[in-house]
Amino acid sequence: MSRKKKSKPTSAVAVAGSTDTSSLASNAEAALGASRYKDAIEQFKVLIKRERRSDWLEGLAAAYAGRAEQLAAKGMVKEALALWRTRGESCGVPLLGGPYVAWLLQSGQVEQALSFLPAVDTLPPEAQALAQTQLAAAVLVAPDALLTGLLACSPMLHHRTAARAALAACAGGDETALEAALQAISFRSPYRDLRPLLKALAIQASDRPSAAAALARVTQNGPFEPLRKVLQVCLMPGTDWLSGMRHLDEVGRTLVLDLKGCPQSQRSLVLDLMPRVAETAPTSLELFNLVLRQRREIGEGLARQLCLRLLPHVPQRMDAFRASFLSLTAAEHERVLALAAELMQQPEQAQAHWLRLIKLLGATQGGQQRAALVLRRLAASHADHSPDGALCSHAVAWLGQSLDLDPADLATHLRLIRDARRNGELKQARTWLDAARTLFPEDAQLLQEAVEIALAAGSFKKAAGLAKQVLKVDPINPRVRTLIGQAHLAHARKQIGTHNLLAARRELDEAATWFRGAGERGLVTLLQGFVAEPGAAVDALLREAVGQLGNPLVGGFQLLLEGQRTKYQPARQASELLRRAGVDLAATPSAMDLVALAHALNTVPEGDRGVGAALDALHGMLERAANTLRLTESDDLLVCEALHRHGQSELTQRFVKAALERWPERPVFVYLDAAARFGASPWRMGDREFKRLDRAFEQARAQGDQRTASRLGKMLSDTGFAAPHEDMAPDADDLEAFSPDGIRAVMEAMLAFGGVDRFLETARQELGKTTFERLRRDFKGSKKDFAQSLFDLLLPTGPEPALPDRIVVLDRPPVRASSQAVKNQPDLFDE
Amino acid sequence: MSDPYRQLGVPETADDDTIRAAYLAAIRACPPERDRQRFEQVRAAFEAVASERQRLAHALFDARAPTVRDVLELLSAGWKMGTPTEASLYQLLGRHD
Repeated sequence: MSRKKKSKPTSAVAVAGSTDTSSLASNAEAALGASRYKDAIEQFKVLIKRERRSDWLEGLAAAYAGRAEQLAAKGMVKEALALWRTRGESCGVPLLGGPYVAWLLQSGQVEQALSFLPAVDTLPPEAQALAQTQLAAAVLVAPDALLTGLLACSPMLHHRTAARAALAACAGGDETALEAALQAISFRSPYRDLRPLLKALAIQASDRPSAAAALARVTQNGPFEPLRKVLQVCLMPGTDWLSGMRHLDEVGRTLVLDLKGCPQSQRSLVLDLMPRVAETAPTSLELFNLVLRQRREIGEGLARQLCLRLLPHVPQRMDAFRASFLSLTAAEHERVLALAAELMQQPEQAQAHWLRLIKLLGATQGGQQRAALVLRRLAASHADHSPDGALCSHAVAWLGQSLDLDPADLATHLRLIRDARRNGELKQARTWLDAARTLFPEDAQLLQEAVEIALAAGSFKKAAGLAKQVLKVDPINPRVRTLIGQAHLAHARKQIGTHNLLAARRELDEAATWFRGAGERGLVTLLQGFVAEPGAAVDALLREAVGQLGNPLVGGFQLLLEGQRTKYQPARQASELLRRAGVDLAATPSAMDLVALAHALNTVPEGDRGVGAALDALHGMLERAANTLRLTESDDLLVCEALHRHGQSELTQRFVKAALERWPERPVFVYLDAAARFGASPWRMGDREFKRLDRAFEQARAQGDQRTASRLGKMLSDTGFAAPHEDMAPDADDLEAFSPDGIRAVMEAMLAFGGVDRFLETARQELGKTTFERLRRDFKGSKKDFAQSLFDLLLPTGPEPALPDRIVVLDRPPVRASSQAVKNQPDLFDE
Repeated sequence: MSDPYRQLGVPETADDDTIRAAYLAAIRACPPERDRQRFEQVRAAFEAVASERQRLAHALFDARAPTVRDVLELLSAGWKMGTPTEASLYQLLGRHD
């Protein structure tokens, strides 16, 4: 540990013995100028011993004053006072005229300070005003007997009466008297700060901005500083005053609490909270215990409300809550446990408690709407964990059930309709839609859904008719204008496909009247090119369309896609079509072109066979782009996801590879890479790839990227360790027929003949995917060791293994039930 | 402040109209160009309890733990601003620290 070297003050003996007078004088001046007051004092003292010169005496006085102020600034007021007295004695200067009186008052020596009152009037005007200001508060509160030294004409005495009257009026809430008393205090009075202070005090509850403005006019460290500080704390915004009180003394805090109207019974609690608001925030447990301890002071009702809100964070205090408040309904109990489980990220437990709560609420009068809300929350939590935000069968059932309990929730109707439509379940979507429209017949959103369903079903005329109905209700709905245009466009494609060019032209002209965007108009132009009379006009229209579509890549893609959709030109003639439209296949697209293509791809439904053919023709351009362009991470992800969505494995792999070079092991790219490489056969991946996915899964979870974690989790669970052999899997019923010895024999045989992979696959089926994957993730060791551990684990109890405590069997395959099946379920919450 | 009712200055029994009126008054008093943070808080509070369904959902699912400030706000909601006594003012001004 290094020791800090302190600068040694020059001792008087050393100074006297070693330096001649002139250099000593210059050194003393230099020390004084550099605020090295201790050195300056020593040097001036030696000089004065040699000759009592006035300039050296002044220097010594200044050095003493500087040192005393240094001490006072450190809170050493008594030491500062002592040094100030030494200054007076050594240099022959009066005690008054500086901070001496203020220090006396500060150290509580009020009487001694007041004893200087007669001398104040003898001071020069400037020092006199300073001393009067310093003494004003002391004179204001001092008994009359201590003020006998003051001249009758002294302003301190003269305005004292008015100042005291103002204090009395302020305390009595007499505004008129306060105003009159404050008027009597002139702006030169030593009590002048009382005017804005008492004004602020009088209005601090009713007019905070004006009070703050009045307070801003008072200088800091004036004679009435304690009152200024109290008001400053009172005027702090919100609950900041609680932490502000920490800087006040006990009397100041009491006054703040008086002004805030805090009842005596609650003061100890407030003062208990005071240090906790500014320092490290108390834990929920500490706060719970504090509120519970002080519940009588707080009021039982309020304390119960606070504790109930804290309980999900401290469920272990449930019994203490019950014992203290003697009430906790079964519904409150389940709600607290459900929220607690959510906070602890235990979704299965949370779900169980929510389901129990639904039963309890559903059975009560008026609880149905709340039960419906809980069902919707459950559905939403399931959808949140779904990779594409789609509803699983449970979620659909829960939402349907919620509408039985609370049918007037339009958002839920829309959610169900949209989900069914996006899943291609148009019949189900119409069922939901019809149910919703009986309740909301004129709702524009529902009408819009009707349009979308009709479009999805290929009923273009019906869609256009419905869309016009929407425009009657909502005339500026841009989405519907687009939908009408798309309906005509779709119809035009159909007509082109059947070579009914006249009807196609009519549909395209109609579509053009509804579209506003350049991209949509580009599509119309493109199709107009397809139906134009053969000749130069065709190429001109195609070129114009490519221009309207934004860039050659997107233009070329749309051209080929529409060519496929309308059967205008076979795929093998793609190059010729592109050439006629002016698309240069040798060009390298820009990053913006790629992003635009990704957006275009995202508007095309999955499974559109035209996409593959179009991208095949543009493969060269895209390959060059993947090799040369450096996209931002979000753009790269957008492009990879769009390609992945359309099953473009090879192109996805190219872009993902480039992305992983720049952002190695980024979970979402790791997933896309594996998805592109292994596709629908994830069991083909080796142990190394499995571990890589596992790491990415953990990383995604740690980063809170639920979507990627969910996608990775699903892929991991689909992997197993080898190709699944469904026909070879042993039937659980068959296994149950064996005795433990028989089971051992079967399992050993499985390991011996089927190998590790076969055994693991069987174990996966027996334990369920979730449990199996958890065990696999937790196990640190080779596949063979894992198989052996599973063997040991399964053996003692056969097919119903005694699992470690921390592993819960959760797996319930989300079979998507039909609406009829859902309705037929006798009780959704029996589990 | 986590409690939307206190944010809007309405009781928990307030209906849609009262809450909407309180919201409009709050954003008039505190438009986004003056205090963006406060405006966002008021808007979030309104969105949390604007309809009966939202209020029920808030009551069921709000899992935010109250803070010390929340406790103080709840406590002080029942206080009535007081005036100082003459003696307390003299006591304060007679002290120097």
